[in-house]
Amino acid sequence: MDEEGEIIRGVRGRRGLFGRWVEMKYLIFDAGPIISLTLNGMLPVIEKLKSVFDGEFILTPTVKREVVDRPMKIKKFKLEALQVQDLIARGVFKMSGDVLSNQKLDKEMKKILKAANGVLRTTERKEKISIIHDGEAECLAFANICGCENAIVIDERTTRMLTEAPQNLESMMEGKLHMPLDATLSLLDGLKKFRFIRSAELLYVAWKKDLIGVKKDKELLDALLYGVKFKGCAISSVEIEEMKRLAS
Amino acid sequence: MKEVENVLRILREAKKFVEEDKPNELKSLSNQTVHAATIAQDADNVIVAVLIYSIGKVMERDHYRTMDGWKDFYDAVIKNLELAAVALEKKSIDNARIYLGRIRNSLNKIEGDLGVYVKDVFRKAEINKAFKLHEHGLSTEKTAEMLGVSLWDLASYIGQSHIGDSKVAITMPAKDRVKIAEEMFG
Repeated sequence: MDEEGEIIRGVRGRRGLFGRWVEMKYLIFDAGPIISLTLNGMLPVIEKLKSVFDGEFILTPTVKREVVDRPMKIKKFKLEALQVQDLIARGVFKMSGDVLSNQKLDKEMKKILKAANGVLRTTERKEKISIIHDGEAECLAFANICGCENAIVIDERTTRMLTEAPQNLESMMEGKLHMPLDATLSLLDGLKKFRFIRSAELLYVAWKKDLIGVKKDKELLDALLYGVKFKGCAISSVEIEEMKRLAS
Repeated sequence: MKEVENVLRILREAKKFVEEDKPNELKSLSNQTVHAATIAQDADNVIVAVLIYSIGKVMERDHYRTMDGWKDFYDAVIKNLELAAVALEKKSIDNARIYLGRIRNSLNKIEGDLGVYVKDVFRKAEINKAFKLHEHGLSTEKTAEMLGVSLWDLASYIGQSHIGDSKVAITMPAKDRVKIAEEMFG
């Protein structure tokens, strides 16, 4: 029995203090936030965040491949890969396979990929535009079938747009590709409304809870948010300034 | 390989621009290929884009032309662009890939600094094209896969993009997203 009086620890929840049933919460990580946090030297902050989080930090097999297995073979990033691997070994990150079977996850991922990557087609030649990939789709799949409170930590803008503002997706992609596209947004109907945060919001929470290990002030928050922006987090300067105002 | 006709045209024009010593035209030709590559999401198109862009960058640097191995590299470029185009005309895509690969492999035969410098140009061109593909709407994961580069390499480049600053890219007010994070952490 731990300090919270844990008796049963399962997929959907656990017994908390005084036998109270506490539903499990999951933060599902895409590769991007782990990379941007690691490249900013903020990996230890993930561990501190986990210590104040009443749930699990989840990695899917494809995400693990991107943040551990592949960089392990690249000398330039091997050290970072070892650090992330260490967090897995020490249980800071839990593999999705410990919660759901990989087979089940794979099946759901393929369903999501088919729906999401069928939404946009070129008007002229009816070619499908692939907008999300295995790692992101696995995160969505886990969120869809884990049956628990969850949020996906993803820095990639397009995946967020898919469910938060699908009506903008067509115009944004048309602007980028400089060609007319047709959207079949009804294909997304089967996908539940996901909740997304980014590495920026994780750092915001860490800053607020004074977990960074550097004197907590507005300059630090500014540095943290721009730090992840310049290491791959899709966040605008306007959003950063708004987050700084929220912190006042 | 998708868009074979387009790739064939690009290779023909590339050879012409190399012979006419027009590095800027080569780079602009490469950008056209990136656009096609985004739609087709085809690695062959990306390889051509990287190759043409790299040749353009190498030709921009006049001092490379006086270095040992320059003639071998230049001859390999001209010869293999021609052979790749002929192979594509005959619909022999595998052979075209081999000839395009030989341009890059020719760098391994160059002793001295030139080989190292040009290899570096190719590596940076891969990252540059990855950035362009991402700007054209490809996910980071797909971009990395098509170029054979790691997400780690891409992270800093993607951070330089201004896409995230456009209004349409903001899909939820910042305060709402912060609220989600705060709710998750109780």
